[in-house]
Amino acid sequence: MTAEKILTRNFERADSHTLTAYLETGGYTAWQKAQTLPPAAITEEVKQSNLRGLGGAGFPTGTKWSFIPKNHTGPVYLVINADEGEPGTFKDRYLLERDPHALIEGMLIAARAIRSATGFVYVRGEYVEPYRRFSTAVSEAYDAGYLGKGFDVVVHRGAGAYICGEETGLISSLEGKKGWPKLKPPFPAIKGAFGAPTIVNNVETICHVPHIITRGAGWFASLGTKTQGGTRMYSVSGRVRRPGVYEASVAITLRRLIDELADGVTGNGRLKAVVPGGASAAILRADEIDVTMDVDGLRNAGTMAGSAGVIVMDETVSIPEALMVVARFYAHESCGQCTPCRESTGWIYKMVRRIVEGRGRKDDLDTILDVARRGAGTTICAFYDGAVGPYISYIEKFRGEFEALIDGAGARVVATPASRAATAHA
Amino acid sequence: MPKLTINGHAVEVPPGTNLIEAARRVGVEIPHYCYHPGLSIAGQCRLCMVDIEKTPRPTIACNTLAAEGMVVATETDRVKETRKSIMEFHLINHPLDCPVCDQAGECWLQIYYMEHGLYDPRMRDEKVHKPKAVPLGPHVMLDAERCILCSRCVRFCDEVTRTGELGIFDRGDHSEIGLFPGTELANKYSGNVVDICPVGALTDRDFRFAVRVWYLDSAKSVCPGCARGCNIEVHVNRRRPHHNEGRRVARLKPRFNADVNRWWICDAGRYGFAFVDDKTRLVAPARREDGAVGDATWEEAIGAVAGALRRFAPDEIGVFASPKMANEDLWALRRVLEAPGIRRVAFRVPPREPGDADTLLIRSDKNPNSHGAALLGLDGDGAAILAAARARQVKCLWVFGHDLLAGAWPEAETDAALRALPLLIFTGTNANATSERAHWVLPAAAWVEREGTYTNFEGRVQRFRQAVEPLGQALPEWDILGRVLRALGVEVGATRAERWFRELAAAVPAFAGLTYQAIGDTGAVLSAPTAGHPRSEPASRTPLQ
Amino acid sequence: MSGRDRTDGATRASSRPPTDHAGLEVPAPTVAFSAEQLGEVRRLQGLYPDRRAALLPVLHLAQETFGYISLEVERYVAGLFDLTPAHVHEVVTFYTMFFRAPKGRHVVAVCHNLSCHLAGAPAIVAHLQGRLGIHVGETTADGRVTLQSVECLCACEHAPMMQVDDRYEFGLTPEKVDRILEGLR
Ligand SMILES: Cc1cc2nc3c(=O)[nH]c(=O)nc-3n(C[C@H](O)[C@H](O)[C@H](O)COP(=O)(O)O)c2cc1C
Ligand code: SF4
Ligand code: SF4
Ligand code: SF4
Ligand code: FES
Ligand code: FES
Repeated sequence: MTAEKILTRNFERADSHTLTAYLETGGYTAWQKAQTLPPAAITEEVKQSNLRGLGGAGFPTGTKWSFIPKNHTGPVYLVINADEGEPGTFKDRYLLERDPHALIEGMLIAARAIRSATGFVYVRGEYVEPYRRFSTAVSEAYDAGYLGKGFDVVVHRGAGAYICGEETGLISSLEGKKGWPKLKPPFPAIKGAFGAPTIVNNVETICHVPHIITRGAGWFASLGTKTQGGTRMYSVSGRVRRPGVYEASVAITLRRLIDELADGVTGNGRLKAVVPGGASAAILRADEIDVTMDVDGLRNAGTMAGSAGVIVMDETVSIPEALMVVARFYAHESCGQCTPCRESTGWIYKMVRRIVEGRGRKDDLDTILDVARRGAGTTICAFYDGAVGPYISYIEKFRGEFEALIDGAGARVVATPASRAATAHA
Repeated sequence: MPKLTINGHAVEVPPGTNLIEAARRVGVEIPHYCYHPGLSIAGQCRLCMVDIEKTPRPTIACNTLAAEGMVVATETDRVKETRKSIMEFHLINHPLDCPVCDQAGECWLQIYYMEHGLYDPRMRDEKVHKPKAVPLGPHVMLDAERCILCSRCVRFCDEVTRTGELGIFDRGDHSEIGLFPGTELANKYSGNVVDICPVGALTDRDFRFAVRVWYLDSAKSVCPGCARGCNIEVHVNRRRPHHNEGRRVARLKPRFNADVNRWWICDAGRYGFAFVDDKTRLVAPARREDGAVGDATWEEAIGAVAGALRRFAPDEIGVFASPKMANEDLWALRRVLEAPGIRRVAFRVPPREPGDADTLLIRSDKNPNSHGAALLGLDGDGAAILAAARARQVKCLWVFGHDLLAGAWPEAETDAALRALPLLIFTGTNANATSERAHWVLPAAAWVEREGTYTNFEGRVQRFRQAVEPLGQALPEWDILGRVLRALGVEVGATRAERWFRELAAAVPAFAGLTYQAIGDTGAVLSAPTAGHPRSEPASRTPLQ
Repeated sequence: MSGRDRTDGATRASSRPPTDHAGLEVPAPTVAFSAEQLGEVRRLQGLYPDRRAALLPVLHLAQETFGYISLEVERYVAGLFDLTPAHVHEVVTFYTMFFRAPKGRHVVAVCHNLSCHLAGAPAIVAHLQGRLGIHVGETTADGRVTLQSVECLCACEHAPMMQVDDRYEFGLTPEKVDRILEGLR
C-alpha cells in the first residue's frame, strides 16, 4: 500500500527541478493530452479520480472546479496555495524545490478546466529558496513556450503570516492587503481574487493533476479509499527515527506510517501521542493510531487529515508544554479580525502558560474547555476551529498531566537529549 | 420579494435585505456591533447570530440575505448562549472602567451586557494594554482599550469620506485602531465616527465629560449650516445647566433621513452651534442715538420700525432678508413688504470666499433656506439696493442677520452706503459689524429656540422644532414681523409658526398642499420639481439603533 | 548611503542603522527608489489586475533597499500606490517579515514551534542568546545580528532549525550554531 512513488518519483535526481529532467521523465505530456480534451472533460476526470484537496480542508477538487459559474465571461483566476505554514508540514517545500514543473503542468491543465488565463502562485515569504527555484522553472516554461500562450503565471511572495494559508486570507494578501480572511458567502469560486471567480488549490493537489490526466481517473481512485483517491505526501516529524516526507496511499494507517516509513519512535521509544494532520488536528493517543490517513478515516477518528503533517510524541514529552507551544502559535497568528478568535487565543495561551509554569488554578482547565467550545464555529474562518482542536483534545485526553501541574505534583517534563546537552553547554 | 418568517412573524422584504434589517421590519432587534446600514458588511463582531432552520449552527444575520421560505429564530436557547459567549469574548480585554467612561448611558457594550451577558468575569489574567485618551484630531478622542475592533470607524473613513485615515494595525489581540503616526483625523465629517462607534472608544472632544447623557433632552431639527439641510437632533442640557458652563445646547447629532443626509452630518454643521450661547447674542431690543446704545422695549422698537415704514416712501426703503430665515419668517416679511408696497428687497449677500462643497453633503451655499427665499419672491438685486443707499435714494434699510460689511462687495462702498443711511434697522441673533451701525436692533431667536421650516436646495421643505427657550427677549422673526404688521394696522391672525406656514401654503403655489403634518419628520418635496439631483434609493432607510 | 544610488552597495550600506562618525544615529536620508527600481515598481504593478496587489513585492523591494520599513518608507510607498499611509501601515504591521526598526546585517530566526521544540529549540534559543549577548527580538550592539524566535518554518524534519537571512539551517546543535555564527560578518 505504500504504492509507487508518483509525486516524489524524481526527488532522488539532483537536477529534478530542471526542465530537462522533467521532460526526460515524461513531463508536459499530460498537458499535450489535456489540450485535446474539452474543459468539462478535464473537470469530470478529476472528479472521478476522487482527488481531494491536500492543503487542509480535503474538499473534492473536481467538484470545487465545477463551482465556477458556467456562463461567466470575465477573468477567472487560478491561485496556488504555496503558503505552507501548518506546523508539522513541509511537503510543498519539496515540490517547489524538487519538481516545480509538475506544478506548472498541473496549473496549465487546471487552468484549461476552469478557463483561466492567469495563475498566481502565492509562496510563503520565508521560502526564499523554493521561491527562486520555482521562479526559475516558470522562466524555463515561458522560454519553452508552455506558458505565455493563453496562460500566464505570476509568482507572488508572502511576508510572514500563517493566516495567509487560509484561502480567503491568501486572496486578501494577494490583493495587497493584510491577510484578513473574507466573509463567506460569497465563496471564492463566485467572487474571489480581484472580485473574479477564483479557484484556490494547494501545490500538492495540483501536482497530482497531470498524472490523473495521463493515467486516468480510475487508476488514481484505485490507489486510495472509496471516497478519496491517490497518494499523498506525509510530513513526519517529532520523535521518530527518520523524520521526512513520505509518499504513500491515503489509505495507509498512521501506525504503518510511523513504524515502517519513519522507522519508529525515538525518545524513550514508547509512543504517547500523535498529531496526524498538522498542528490544527486534534491529538491522538498511542492507542488511537490504527486509523487510515484519508480524510474520512481521520474525521471518523475525531481528528482531521489536514495537511498530513504528522508530529510524533514519545512518553517523555510533556503534553501541557506541547499545548503551550501550540497555543502560543495560535495567539501569535490570529489575524485579529473577529472577536472570539482574537480575544480568546491570547487568553487561552496565558492560561496554558500559567499552568505549565506551575501557576495554574483549579478552574483553568474547565475555563479553557468552555471558552474553546463556546468559540468553536462562531468565527469568520476555520483558523479558530483549528485552534480549538488541540485546546480541547490535549486537555481531554491528557487531563491528568495538566492537573498534576496545577496541583504542583508534576515536575516539568521537558528533558530531551538535545535540550539536556544544550542546557549543559549554556 | 422574498417572504420569510422571523420569530413566527411573516415578512416580505426587498431582495438584498439582510436578516438584521428584515427583523427590524417586524420589530425584532438582533443585537449587533459591526453592522451599520451605511457601511459595508464586516462580520467581525459575531454578535448578530441567529438560528436559521436547516442550518447546523447559528449564523451571522448581517451577512445573510433574506431568502424565500427562510425560517429565522433569534431567541432560541442556542442563540442566547452564543450571544452570551460572544459578549464574554468582547469583554476579555476590556478595561471595565464604565463608571468613568463618557459613553456611559449610550454604550452598546453596557446595554447588551445587561441584556445578553451577565456571567461572572473569568478573565483574571493580565489584559492587553493599549493607549488611552489619545486625541485623534480636532474633534475626536480615542481610548483604544475600550475599542471592540468593530471597524466601523475605519470603514467610514474608507467608504464614506474616502479619506482612509484610520486603520487597524498589528494583529491578534494586539490589533489596535489608530492613525498613521503623525497624522490627524481631520476630514470634514470626522465627528460621525463618534456616533457610529458602538462603545466609548471614540468620544467627542467637544462633549467629553461635559454632560452626562441622561441629563439631556432632545428635539428634532435641521442643520442651518448649508443648503443641504441635514436632519439632526439637538441635544440640550436643560436639567443641569451648570454642567456645561451655561451652554444650553450640548451637541448636535445626525438624524437619519434617507433622502437628505442618511446617517451623517459634517463637522461644520455638527460643531457650528456655538453662536447660540455666544456672548455676541442679542438679547434685548436696542436703540443707538448719537453713538450711544440704550435698551428699548419691544413696543418702542416695533413702534419705531412701523413708524419708519410709514414715514419713508416705499421706494426709499430697502430690505435685506436672510436666507437663514425660515419660510414662515420670510412669508411674514413678504406680508410686511406688501402692506406699503416695498419693492427693494434682496436676500443674497455674496460671500468673500466661495463656500466649500463636496459630493457627499456639503453645499457651497452656507444658508439653509436660499431656495425658500427665492420661491417667496425675495431674490432682488442687493448691490443695487446698496448703490441706491449711497445715492441717498434709499433712506431706510432693514437688514436681517447679514453682516453686509463681511460680504464680497467692496467694503468701502458698503461702508459708504451704511454711512449715508438715515435709518438702519437690524434684526438677527448675534451682533456683527452691521448691527453695530444699526439705529434699531431687534433680537431674533436662534433656530433651536423656535420652530419653523427651511426649503433645501432640492426643494425639500423640512421642519425644525424648538429645543430651548429664546435667550433674553429674543423673538422668532415671524413674531417680530407679525407685531410690525399689527402696528401697521394689518389684521394678523397667525400667532404660531404653523399658522404662518398655513397661510404661506395657501398663497404660494409651490407650497400648495403642504402642512406641518405632511412635512412630518423627514420633510416633503415641493410639488414643482426644482433644480435637484436624481437620488438613488439608499440600501436601507432604517436608522441605526 | 542614499537609496538614490543605483548600486547594490547602497542596498547593503543602508540596511544598517545610519550612524555618523561618532556612532550616533543620524536621521535617515530621504527615501526614494532609483529610476531603475521605479521601473521595477511599475512592472510589478502591471502584473496584477489591480496594482495594489504589488504592495507586498514593493515592500520587500523597499526593505532590501532601505534596510527596514520606516514610517517615511511607508509614506513613500503609499505615494507609489495612491494609498493612504494608514493603509500601508496596516499591511506593514500585519506581517512578521517587515522590520519597522533598523535590523542587524543578519537576521537569525529560530523556529520555536512544536517539532523544533520537541527537538530542543528552547536550548538553541538559550545558546544563541548567550553567544550573542542579547535577548530574542534584539540586535547586537555592533549591528551584526538580530535574533528572532519564530513560528514553524516548515522544515520540521530537520528540527531544530532556523533561518539565517535567506538560508535555512538544519539539524542545529550548539556546535553547529557556533559555526554558523562565525560565518556571519
Ligand atoms: C488557518 C488555515 C491555514 C491554512 N493553511 C494552508 C496552507 O498553508 N496551505 C494550503 O494549501 N492550504 C491551507 N489551508 C487550506 C486552504 O484554506 C484551502 O482550503 C486550500 O488551500 C484549498 O486547496 P486544496 O483544496 O487543494 O486543499 C489553510 C486553512 C486554514 C483555515
Ligand atoms: S477566526 Fe481568527 S484568523 Fe480567522 S478571521 Fe477570525 S480572527 Fe482571523
Ligand atoms: S473605535 Fe469604535 S468604531 Fe472604531 S473599531 Fe473601535 S469600537 Fe469600532
Ligand atoms: S452638510 Fe450642511 S446641512 Fe449638513 S451638517 Fe453640514 S453644514 Fe449642516
Ligand atoms: S453585526 Fe454581524 S457580525 Fe457584527
Ligand atoms: S516546528 Fe520548526 S520548522 Fe516546523
